[in-house]
Amino acid sequence: MQYTGHGGKPLVERVITDKAEAKKKIAGLKTMPASRQMATEAIGIAYGFFSPIEGFMKKADVETTCKKMELTDGTIWSIPIVYDISDAEIAQYGLKVGDSVLLTYDGNPLAIFDIEEIYTYDKESMAQDVYGTKEEKHPGVKRTYNYKDKFLGGKITLVNEPKVREPFTPYFLTPRQHRQKFAEKNWIKIVAHQTRNVPHSGHEWLMKHAYIAAHGDSPVEQMETMGKAISGILVNCIVGEKRVGDYIDEAIVLTQDELRKSGYFRADIHMVTMTFWDMRYAGPREAVHHSIIRTNLGLTHHMFGRDHAGVGTYYHSYQAHHLLMSIPKEKLNITPIYVLEWAYCPHCGEVTCIGLCGHWKELQKFSGTKIRSIIMDEVKPTRLIFRPEVFDVVMEASKKYGFGSPFVTQEYLQKAKPAFSIEPL
Amino acid sequence: MAETYPINIWINEERFNSLQNAGLGKLLKEELAGMKVLIVPCTAEQRDKVLQLFPMAKYDAATTKSIELLPKKVKDQIYDMVVKKKSLDVMDDFIKLVEKG
Ligand SMILES: [Zn+2]
Repeated sequence: MQYTGHGGKPLVERVITDKAEAKKKIAGLKTMPASRQMATEAIGIAYGFFSPIEGFMKKADVETTCKKMELTDGTIWSIPIVYDISDAEIAQYGLKVGDSVLLTYDGNPLAIFDIEEIYTYDKESMAQDVYGTKEEKHPGVKRTYNYKDKFLGGKITLVNEPKVREPFTPYFLTPRQHRQKFAEKNWIKIVAHQTRNVPHSGHEWLMKHAYIAAHGDSPVEQMETMGKAISGILVNCIVGEKRVGDYIDEAIVLTQDELRKSGYFRADIHMVTMTFWDMRYAGPREAVHHSIIRTNLGLTHHMFGRDHAGVGTYYHSYQAHHLLMSIPKEKLNITPIYVLEWAYCPHCGEVTCIGLCGHWKELQKFSGTKIRSIIMDEVKPTRLIFRPEVFDVVMEASKKYGFGSPFVTQEYLQKAKPAFSIEPL
Repeated sequence: MAETYPINIWINEERFNSLQNAGLGKLLKEELAGMKVLIVPCTAEQRDKVLQLFPMAKYDAATTKSIELLPKKVKDQIYDMVVKKKSLDVMDDFIKLVEKG
């Protein structure tokens, strides 16, 4: 079945699954190793997470992405997907326009890269356009400045599918597999919850809020019977480059899943998957990018809360909402659901939306830092704030995968195995 | 102390009971649906010293306005000193203890 992706274009799938055919196609090609960053993005391109993009972007597309937030054909696009390379590497591998090279990863074949263009781009101007700042302490800007001096543009074809390690294996689904799962579940309305967090009940309520909003004009009868739901929540965890102090990805994926396993969400309305993507912390532009990815996964709605994909004080709390609101509906085929913060109100005795309850002075807000501090002190929080089963999973993940910490440490960065590997073909 | 830069020590049930029994329950504050926290004040000098002695720690100026990310065993030591001294005024003693090694 041919699916439709972002921009109303066919979902991109550039993957050779037949090993014999793959071997034939790569025979005699020049080879070049890809960095983890570039391999991650090549995989994303090939499976169609970034549809309609079929390869690493050429200069004209980068330029319109930066300046107008669209591709040269007018499709909304917010973050350049580029392959950086140095002059020394170009000489070393003898690369020229028109070449097809075999990208390798872990020393094994990964993808065929048809080099259609070799170009330069002003990195400061790219940073300013995408991130709204040139400050190197912004992690996305830093990544941009770290790009080598040239870029390669051209199509990508995956010849060897990644092997995703435990405990991530069951959570990695391609866009096609996402859509097949949704069809099995008979989900018609599916709302995305973007996360790189272990969930406290504030997060849980963001999801419930978005679910209720998305489901609002549908018949409720289906919801009465387990297994008949026609709307679902897809928690799509972003797995990629980590910074010290982030939650480890294992804890994120497993705790999100625990919310359903422990019944906080019914089994037929909730599902957890992951997408490989290095967070750029581009705030509003990253929110647009997340919408594009989730459109490609086949979702109909996307929850956006406070400070979506932001960092430091570069963006206002709800700047992402405003950028999304400025995009014409027909250009982004997913309905955003804008959600205010939820907090604990001691007066109401419950977790409530801060836009509903009038006891503003009494509200106890969920601060990520506070929750981290509680977890680090190994104190089991009250169940209204943090589900006990989720806490237990955090502690287990910390021992099993985090070298004793649920947060990324230098040790984790050095010793944790990458989430995917490329095996011999 | 005009402005303080506190260390928050979250208290589990067992510690809560022993603080109550020692008559120190009044030192605790309630947050997030009834969680108990011991807020140990620091002056600006003490804060800087703590951050220097424990480089993994951070002063969170944006949200909590407190010293965060101190390892549990460091906080355990501070907690023990509070209980022993029956007072929150322990940071000078604590810093001296750490500096002595
Ligand atoms: Zn209230």
